[in-house]
Amino acid sequence: MRFCKTCGGGDIDVDQARGSAVCTSCGSVLEDNIIVSEVQFVEGTGGVSSAVGQFVSADGPVKAPLLGSGFHTSVGKESRAQTLQAGKRQIQQLGSQLQLNQHCLDTAFNFFKMVVSKHLTRGRKTEHVIAACLYLVCRTEGTPHMLLDLSDLLQVNVYILGKTFLLLARELCINAPAIDPCLYIPRFAHMLEFGVQTHEVSMTALRLVQRMKRDWMHTGRRPSGLCGAALLVAARMHKFRRTVKDVIGVVKVCQTTLRKRLTEFEDTPTSQLTIDEFMKVDLEQECDPPSFTASKHKAKMQQLEHELARKLDEVEGEISCYKDEIESELEKSRPKLRGIYAAYAKEIDPEDAEVLSLTSEPEVPEVEEAELQAAAQHLTQNFLSQVIQEEDGQKADDSEQGAGPENEGAGPQRQAASLAVILGKLPSAASLTLQQTFQTFDEETQGKPDDEQSESGELDLKDIDDQEIDKYILNDQEVEVKTELWMKQNAEYLKEQKEKEERIRKEKEQGTYKEKPKKSKRKKDQVAASTAGEAIERMLEKKKISSKINYDVLRDLNSRGTGSGGGSSPSRSSPDPPDNPAAEKRLNRRRRRKASDANRELAANTSIMSKRVRLLLSSTSKKKIPALQAGNAITMSTDASPEPEVSCPPAAPHFVDKEQQEEEEEEEEEEQELQEVEEECVSALQLVGDYGCEEEEMSFDLQG
Amino acid sequence: MDSSNDEALDIIITNVVATFRVRCHLNLRTIALEGNNVIYKPEVGKVLMKLRKPKITASIWSSGKIICTGATSEDDAKLGARRLARVLQKMGFRVRFSAFKVVNVLAVCSMPFAIHLIDFTKNNRPIASYEPELHPAATYRIKHIKATIQVFSTGSITLTGPNVQNVATAVEQVYPLLFECRKPLRK
Repeated sequence: MRFCKTCGGGDIDVDQARGSAVCTSCGSVLEDNIIVSEVQFVEGTGGVSSAVGQFVSADGPVKAPLLGSGFHTSVGKESRAQTLQAGKRQIQQLGSQLQLNQHCLDTAFNFFKMVVSKHLTRGRKTEHVIAACLYLVCRTEGTPHMLLDLSDLLQVNVYILGKTFLLLARELCINAPAIDPCLYIPRFAHMLEFGVQTHEVSMTALRLVQRMKRDWMHTGRRPSGLCGAALLVAARMHKFRRTVKDVIGVVKVCQTTLRKRLTEFEDTPTSQLTIDEFMKVDLEQECDPPSFTASKHKAKMQQLEHELARKLDEVEGEISCYKDEIESELEKSRPKLRGIYAAYAKEIDPEDAEVLSLTSEPEVPEVEEAELQAAAQHLTQNFLSQVIQEEDGQKADDSEQGAGPENEGAGPQRQAASLAVILGKLPSAASLTLQQTFQTFDEETQGKPDDEQSESGELDLKDIDDQEIDKYILNDQEVEVKTELWMKQNAEYLKEQKEKEERIRKEKEQGTYKEKPKKSKRKKDQVAASTAGEAIERMLEKKKISSKINYDVLRDLNSRGTGSGGGSSPSRSSPDPPDNPAAEKRLNRRRRRKASDANRELAANTSIMSKRVRLLLSSTSKKKIPALQAGNAITMSTDASPEPEVSCPPAAPHFVDKEQQEEEEEEEEEEQELQEVEEECVSALQLVGDYGCEEEEMSFDLQG
Repeated sequence: MDSSNDEALDIIITNVVATFRVRCHLNLRTIALEGNNVIYKPEVGKVLMKLRKPKITASIWSSGKIICTGATSEDDAKLGARRLARVLQKMGFRVRFSAFKVVNVLAVCSMPFAIHLIDFTKNNRPIASYEPELHPAATYRIKHIKATIQVFSTGSITLTGPNVQNVATAVEQVYPLLFECRKPLRK
């Protein structure tokens, strides 16, 4: 027994038909829209009687919601319902292209529902999620569809789809069974058109694949590559002439991969069998995986090379010993220089030494030279062989004046070069000594004392060789040179920065400067409502939540405030149109915006991405053309392609702009409001960011 | 457990990544102009400096945060980081070395047997995943020590984890699983 809240009366009339509960004593309505379980019939036009009421499914959209109190909850449900509906539609579309049966599509839709309920669609393109769901179904059902097929249809990078797929599989705890190449064989065989003998060829190919599996060729490889190789061989075995090109067209791998698989198969013992033997006999032994054999082969080659090198050294050693002896003999037999000539001969030594020091290191003291000589002597044999190879008879003569001067005599230039070679090969001993000389050099020229700054309270200076660290810092002269170089190199970038700053300064003066948001968010639509009421009105219209609100009344309430509002485009000094046309235009714009929301998302996404991966964007954005714009795709790609040289940030928003404009142009033709388009042009640019010169370009494009 | 067989397994650490802060604002242009072995990337806003002694590449941001990669051991990474701070100090910045943390360690290890990846994935269903169309190795993620292991069919594995200790533990954990799905290599 229920009591009325107002009067306390117990007499309550419940009308099942209307679904209301009314108190008979005071007349207050206690309940409205009670859920009834009666079925009533109404007569419709033409005498058709239909049942009263709406069908409310468990997870479907709640089409007749309670407004007022149930405001926010019904908004959420509707959105969810819309997502699911859109998802279902896309699944049907994609699935029919893949020729999946209805059962698979239903399963895919179930996966999608699970994904949505776990909020995994956030931050991911619906396309990718749908593709991943479909592929999940393919794997669980064992259909011969590859991820590559899906990525072909969507024009998306296969690894991106793979990432999404892996994530979904993990989150939904679905263990997809591993891909078996045998699954693909019937499909590819069919595509290769073997006619009546398709079945036999498939069986042969299957056997081949099984053999490959046992020979460890298939772990870690794409199954399609193996299938391709197996089918090629099977076709040849049955006397079909299928070339490599035919096969790779069907199987979607490249020539190199196919050839590699064939060579690997060749290396297995099975390849030695004849066709009949192969069909009957199965070899027992299994092979190692091909990459393992390859690495062992490499290791062997390296070993061989080592040995060879060692042997060469030994041989060279012998040869140079002989050369030494020969030369010493020659020296003895040659007539000695006497008199004045002897004096000249002596002078050459110190001269050469000077030249040496001049050419090798300009300011290095003589200590280094002696060390260099000592270092050079270590590898005298190498040097000698060089000398002899160069076959310079005259210089060779000069060089025969003892072990040390032999080096100098061979000409300063060559000396420096060979020294560099020698120094390069030297072990640490020589390089350490060189380091010391460098350090002395530093200290002399810079005269910089070691700073013991105690500001680094926490920096532990143990194990840090300060002198070595000094090397890492250039001195003043070098800094100047480097500054010049750097400025020249990065001149363009510096210019750009300056221009940008100037632009910003100008706009600040004009009062139109906006903190440049690089991401064009959808929220921009809601910007610049002068009053709260206006904002609510716009939102309501956009979302089209309820048919029960009288929008005209709502609008009239705030009509006085709308004149000053700048419209949904961000503030710009554009001429203020009169009230009603402004409201109309805004409505139109919003309707258009709604339709182009999908593209806006795309635009937003692309401009977000442009921050991170710019290069990738210029290639992928060309591919990500939604089906809607298939017609415009050609024009857009031709527009976008002449501009690959333009730096990518302008290219991405440029592309975005063109998209928006093209979309707007389409609708413009329907609605024929040229003015709107110009405003749109400006606002779109504003949304994306300021590119001064391109502004004019774009307006010309549209008008022309 | 890993060296319970006749041969001990060699875990070779190939890369150690560490981050630290110098607690002061750095002028990247100065560093770029005065430093030896530096690459300045103004678009991204960082300077790459390469050290020779512990062979290290460091990315230096103007906020004072530095990422140091390429070291072959944790100690090396710390030494390199300190060296780097010293260089910056000498350039004139008021440097305080703080918040040194090793973030990632990459190691490789080679098993003396080949591994059947499909069996391995089947046995370790949700933890291991193998997608031949995408990557030739099976990925095994150990959640509680936060290590990821990529298993190749030839028996070599690469491990990534937050520090060297974790990596060693990971090898020990995964060894018995790999041993089950092995296939002895013919010599």
